[in-house]
Amino acid sequence: MSKAVVKKTLVSLAVAGAITAAQADIVVGVAGPHTGAYAAFGEQLWRGAAKAAEDINAQGGINGEMIKLVKADDACEPKQAVSIANRLVDSDEAVAVVGHFCSSSSIPASVIYDEAGVLMVTPASTNPALTDRGLPGVFRVCGRDDQQGDVAASYIVGELGAKRVAVIHDKDTYGKGLADAMKSTLNSYGVKEVLYEGLTRGEKDFNALVTKIRSVDADVVYFGGLHSEAGPLVRQMREQGLTAKFISGDGIVSEEFVSVAGSPEYVDGVLMTFGADPTSYPAGKAVVKSFRDTGVEPEGYVMYSYTAMQVVAKALAANDLDPVAASDWLHSGVKVDTAMGTKSFDDKGDLLVSDYVMYEWDAKGKYNMLNK
Amino acid sequence: MSQSTGIDIKQSLVDTVIAGLMALIVFGPIVGVLLDGYDFNLQTGNVAGLVGVVMMGRFAVSLFFQSQAGRNFLYRQASKNDGVTVTAPDYKSNLRWIIPVVMVLGLIVPFIASKYVLTVVILGLIYVLLGLGLNIVVGLAGLLDLGFVGFYAIGAYGLALGYENLGIGFWTMLPLAAIMAAVAGAILGFPVLRMHGDYLAIVTLGFGEIIRLVLTNWTSFTHGPNGVSAPLPTLFGLEFNRRASEGNIPFHEFFGLKYDSGFKYIFVYLILFLVVWAVLYVKHRLTKMPVGRAWEALREDEIACRSLGLNHVLVKLSAFMLGASTGGIAGVFFASYQGFVNPSSFTFFESALILAIVVLGGMGSTLGVVLAAFFLTVMPEILREFADYRVLMFGVLMVVMMIWKPRGLVRVTRTGFATRKGTVK
Amino acid sequence: MDIVLQQLVNGLTLGSVYGLIAIGYTMVYGIIGMINFAHGDVYMVSSYITAIAIALLTFFGLESFPVIILGTLIFTIAVTSVYGWVIERVAYRPLRNSSRLSILISAIGMSLILQNYVQIAQGARQQGVPSLLSGAVRFDIGDGFVQITYMKLFILFAAFLGMGVLTYIIQKTKLGRMCRATQQDRKMASILGIDTDKIISLVFVIGAAMAALAGVLITLDYGAFDFYVGFIIGIKAFTAAVLGGIGSLPGAMLGGIILGLSEALFAGLISSDYKDVFSFSLLVVILIFRPSGLLGKPEVEKV
Repeated sequence: MSKAVVKKTLVSLAVAGAITAAQADIVVGVAGPHTGAYAAFGEQLWRGAAKAAEDINAQGGINGEMIKLVKADDACEPKQAVSIANRLVDSDEAVAVVGHFCSSSSIPASVIYDEAGVLMVTPASTNPALTDRGLPGVFRVCGRDDQQGDVAASYIVGELGAKRVAVIHDKDTYGKGLADAMKSTLNSYGVKEVLYEGLTRGEKDFNALVTKIRSVDADVVYFGGLHSEAGPLVRQMREQGLTAKFISGDGIVSEEFVSVAGSPEYVDGVLMTFGADPTSYPAGKAVVKSFRDTGVEPEGYVMYSYTAMQVVAKALAANDLDPVAASDWLHSGVKVDTAMGTKSFDDKGDLLVSDYVMYEWDAKGKYNMLNK
Repeated sequence: MSQSTGIDIKQSLVDTVIAGLMALIVFGPIVGVLLDGYDFNLQTGNVAGLVGVVMMGRFAVSLFFQSQAGRNFLYRQASKNDGVTVTAPDYKSNLRWIIPVVMVLGLIVPFIASKYVLTVVILGLIYVLLGLGLNIVVGLAGLLDLGFVGFYAIGAYGLALGYENLGIGFWTMLPLAAIMAAVAGAILGFPVLRMHGDYLAIVTLGFGEIIRLVLTNWTSFTHGPNGVSAPLPTLFGLEFNRRASEGNIPFHEFFGLKYDSGFKYIFVYLILFLVVWAVLYVKHRLTKMPVGRAWEALREDEIACRSLGLNHVLVKLSAFMLGASTGGIAGVFFASYQGFVNPSSFTFFESALILAIVVLGGMGSTLGVVLAAFFLTVMPEILREFADYRVLMFGVLMVVMMIWKPRGLVRVTRTGFATRKGTVK
Repeated sequence: MDIVLQQLVNGLTLGSVYGLIAIGYTMVYGIIGMINFAHGDVYMVSSYITAIAIALLTFFGLESFPVIILGTLIFTIAVTSVYGWVIERVAYRPLRNSSRLSILISAIGMSLILQNYVQIAQGARQQGVPSLLSGAVRFDIGDGFVQITYMKLFILFAAFLGMGVLTYIIQKTKLGRMCRATQQDRKMASILGIDTDKIISLVFVIGAAMAALAGVLITLDYGAFDFYVGFIIGIKAFTAAVLGGIGSLPGAMLGGIILGLSEALFAGLISSDYKDVFSFSLLVVILIFRPSGLLGKPEVEKV
């Protein structure tokens, strides 16, 4: 079929074959939706982690041992996430996992990793429930939805001075969690949302919803969800003559958002919260450059995944490859140098410093950080 | 059947060229023109390769069908023999040896298999239960149900929500879920059972979707997409977690063992294994009882049954409720095994998969359901080696299996009756 | 007032598209009694072909709207029809004499194949097409307004034209008579000299062509698609077909429009969270009172 896929498969087979020859590798799972509707994100995770593993191995691996990555597909289904987590823990004898992507997969899988004493660092699952349950071995190098919601809400109230806010979500763990977090902060500022509704993921027709947003006369529309729904939604808003400001979270961070919306004119002025540009850190310049040299744009979660892999490697290196000791070490507040700056974690496994900022899409279909 | 056994190469070549043309049209745009934003890249090499493969394949198939073996295959395909095989009255099935062996093997498996294999087998057994449940409805009673996953969801959410709100544990929920699902089956079944075949199918599909949508949207009760965690079964009050809840002792501390997360899977497996056997036995007896005979009779000819005085609504309803209750039990195991449920496990695709188990197994055949359930759950795991091609291969297998064995893996057999000596003929 | 009117327009466009896809389900069901689960994915394939056609046409410098839309329509309908034919030939015809459930499972397998084949070939990303026809008509009503894009008007026009042409073919031409004869009694039709295998193939081709028409229209309107879009819209269209009375051509169109309108009105006036619950409940209620759908013929039980 597609040449790229075949090539990729061959390369990964070759890599796997070459590495199995060397004994006592460190197996790290890269879990995410490698098939299914969210396979694009799985690919981002894989690219980042694979590149990081390659770079670390090129520098002699972790304490002299090579990292061997295992691609684990959960298709964003909890059932498959459980099954694949058991497989990683058991058959592949992974000591650490980079993943999963969907919060609804990360949550059930984290229990299995916890019981097996496997270190889990997710580059993308932002649902608060993941770390709130207090599992010791669960970390994330991204923010939490409530932090993200806070930033969005204070921007809406503070900068935009909006009074009539419609909150839309995609009824999924990530999207709804984000929308709820935003809503509660918004309410704490004394602004009550004028509309709170869900749309169905996978649909593309939101005209009825758009008309409803029009009928409540909203001046800001906040959307918790992914770009696959955000694109058509914003397009249909503009087509029906609705000029309300459109704000969303890090689920729309993908250049596909523009092509899905139909034209850059539709995304012009769309705001979103996202971690300070992951490619902008001085520490990551070389990594970003080597990505671009191979023709890969480190968009979306690629750098997060790279960072997650680095955190795993550093934590294991500092603790004699013992994942349980590594998680205690990470909880102790140590500073880990990564391609996205220095990271340290709190006792739940969240980042100590959240770095969410507002971005704005422009008429050329690019996003730029807004200066505060 | 065969008149001339000669092979007509010219015909084969014509077939091949036509197939090649079709392949070119089918694969040309989708494979050859790779979309990139609003732009595209050409990948003609792949198309040429695919077309070549299709043409060679078509040529081989064309030759095969002109051979004697191919003709026989076509003849078998065309024949409409879909009745049951009746065995001689004194026929003794090999199963009477196989069943004890499988039982013993099944009891050994958890102690030697790795945890991953064990979880796959547990999933397989859950699907056996689901398949057995749906087999009553579709296979025996002939009612096409595309919303079976609804009952599965009732069982799973019953355990998770029952534990959260009322503190109901696994053991209480097991029978309770069966009852709840059966009641749901009755509520759904009563108004819709007068509908015919495919209308019933879409109404049940709607029912399954409604359950899932309500679970997704009623967030104050079900926590919506975030899901709910579900408890593990306990062994006389002993818990299998590393850290037991307040006032309880974990299993491994009680017995002074080192904690192993495998224990809980072994335990779930053993209970599930026994429940599956119990359900298998009940199903086996049911098909021999009047109600089982009535299901099959009603499937074959509803009008005849009604004129013979069978209450068709009750008979159908009993099938619906029994099937549903099995689905509910499967749901409890699923929630417990996964430790977490959310609505994305109960999509229409799941219903389709369960239906595939029943059809692939051979409608109405219990043994077939067991085989097909394992086939369809283990296959995707084996196919993981194919990485990105996994689900594609799964789809291809489904189509190929259906073409190869349209009546399922196992044909329904029935023991023949012999007139006893001394009876009046 | 303006809001209700706008919702009616939304519902009508959505419904006409459901109707187009429902035709594929209803015709196939009418003729061989199978639920063609791969039909939604045929629609999905046509979305990709639409984007490919637009990309190719733009590449060759044909950018005026009439040329590009006509070119895209012809190309997409032609290629998708071949898909319909090939799918029937490969996955369904070998099962012609088997139970209908076997074909159903084969169709589910086919649906998986199509989704994953497209995913592998084209990648998993979200795809989009540029908007070709921008601008809208705007009616001011009191304080509010109703805004209808030209694209929506074009959809309504094209959908009803497509349905009209198909109705003409089925009702008035010899081909249509052969289709209807095969639908009523396949054995008798073949005795009378109709090549029923050809007619069945033809029905799959027609269904695919209608799905392709819907695919072009929706893709141009929403601009976004991925390899997964066939599933939801397939289920909706199937619901529409049953609502109208499966096997009945006008029923499919009516069912589509009713479903589209009720979804838009329910989502707009009550809650978009429960709009699908409402559509399915509506279906159940209608089937309870009219067990053969709105325009379906009641099944006569033969002894």
